[in-house]
Amino acid sequence: MAEPMKIRATLQGDVADVRILMLHPMETGQRKDAKGEIVPLHFIQSVVVTHNGRTVLDTQWSQAVSRNPFLGLRVKGAKAGDKISVTWVDNKGDKRTDEATVAPAS
Amino acid sequence: MRKAWLKWTMLGAPALIAAGCATAPDPATTRQIAEKMVSEDFTAPTPALLKRLEQDRSQRICSKIGDAKLTQEEAAEVVKLARASIQYPASGKLVGDWKVGNTLAHDGAGDRIQFGRLEKRKENGGLCQNCHALAPGEINVGNVGPSLTGYGAQRGNSEAIAKLTYERIYNAWAYSPCSNMPRLGATRHLTPEQIAHLVAFLIDPASPVNGKR
Amino acid sequence: MPTTRGGFAAILLACLAAWGAALAQSDDPLAVGRKMLAEDNPGELWIERGKALFHQKRGPRNASLEQCDFGLGPGKLDGATAQLPRYFPDTDRVQDLESRLLTCMVQLQGFNRDDIVKRAISPAGSNGSDVEALALYITSRSNGMKINISLSHQKEYDAYKAGEYLFYRRSGQTDFACLQCHGEANKRIRLQDLIHMTDKKGVQEVVSTWPAYRGAHFVVRTMQWRLYDCFWQMRLPELKYASDASIALTTYLHYQGNGAVIKVPGFKR
Repeated sequence: MAEPMKIRATLQGDVADVRILMLHPMETGQRKDAKGEIVPLHFIQSVVVTHNGRTVLDTQWSQAVSRNPFLGLRVKGAKAGDKISVTWVDNKGDKRTDEATVAPAS
Repeated sequence: MRKAWLKWTMLGAPALIAAGCATAPDPATTRQIAEKMVSEDFTAPTPALLKRLEQDRSQRICSKIGDAKLTQEEAAEVVKLARASIQYPASGKLVGDWKVGNTLAHDGAGDRIQFGRLEKRKENGGLCQNCHALAPGEINVGNVGPSLTGYGAQRGNSEAIAKLTYERIYNAWAYSPCSNMPRLGATRHLTPEQIAHLVAFLIDPASPVNGKR
Repeated sequence: MPTTRGGFAAILLACLAAWGAALAQSDDPLAVGRKMLAEDNPGELWIERGKALFHQKRGPRNASLEQCDFGLGPGKLDGATAQLPRYFPDTDRVQDLESRLLTCMVQLQGFNRDDIVKRAISPAGSNGSDVEALALYITSRSNGMKINISLSHQKEYDAYKAGEYLFYRRSGQTDFACLQCHGEANKRIRLQDLIHMTDKKGVQEVVSTWPAYRGAHFVVRTMQWRLYDCFWQMRLPELKYASDASIALTTYLHYQGNGAVIKVPGFKR
């Protein structure tokens, strides 16, 4: 059910520029379908990003975040080869974890 | 490449096609091929709606390809046909209610065909905002057509201006043959009464079009 | 951390100044936003989906698309989109990418053509159709390559000229041909920029950025959809999917755009 994310992590000095693309309907629970019925609330509730196992971002999202969301963050003290892991959990209990390695500065 | 060429000659392809070199089809052949596509490659909920693809004489003339130019005779013919098409409201009133015109001018919906259905509403939108700047300060306006901001303030609201404005909206080609502007009244996209409201929207001093920034 | 109001104001001013300086470097804030969207395009997530669908055994014949010939030989995808549309001897037609995909899905996988066409253009906000994902994946295999179509076969030349004719053909209650909206530089409908297609750079941009992620629909859209949608707005009847008319227009635009470097997925509003 949960679709894979796309994670890019590039080193800029000692800061990793991390960019995450997620696929998720992020339904607000206010939209009506073609039959006129409410499409149920379905959104990512939490996103956790770790750097070499240490949590660097722990967020609570609401249905206000758009469909197929993008998340960008910068992680200090990173080195090439470090592991970035991203986990999201939605209000239906569905979850997804993907990993990426910090690439050296281009 | 050679395999394909052998296949073509075996299929009896015209001798004109030599070793992979095609020749430009003459305009008549192109027109025939393309019009066949037009007649076969579209669907509509009713046969009447399919007729929207048929060109009238003026559209034929105005479909110049590439750098082809409109001749003086053609331009004159388009203007003549356009003038003859103009119909006025039954009431004779060319200037309606600018408030109604305001809503119409910002309405870009109506009369589109999708999923086998016609988008039928109470009336068609004027589509003006899609291409023209209207009231000063509005950001979400197109620039395919000239700005109409201050239209009435610049020209006044005399009977002559009202008539000119009415006619330009009804059939712009009466003044600018083959203009990019749709012949909104002549093609029946808008009714004469709707156009009168748009005239008011443009020339009434109280209309936002003629307001301050 | 600032403990005085004055200190906070100073930092705020410094931040605003830096932000202003960054904006001043690029004249157009809209361009900055567009660049950000282009760099992180949700459409990219469709590429893996398309790749999986390409290799997956599907349909009544339980076959993959690995034997599909897009003009360079069965299964050869690198550079395939760059030479489409083109003439195919086996169908004796000029075909674009989506039409050829249709051919293979029917012949190799045994799908029913009408069923594919019905689902080809997915509803906005959905997961997207198989065709959309496949079209994007196959085109992405030509990323970085130049569009290079030829008109060496008579039918290709005929399609090109027919497409040109259609581009300038005015009809309907809007009296529109493609030219009315796409024949001049720096034009827009409301806030939507219109690509200048009678200009080399403009048409090159058009043909190198489809399939694209359509932000407002949250799905990947294709050239077939784009043409269909234009006719919808022009108040004209519905353009049939993968029809000769759609392929003729595509052939005309691609030939005009020869030399454009393919970069997909594009990002559209």
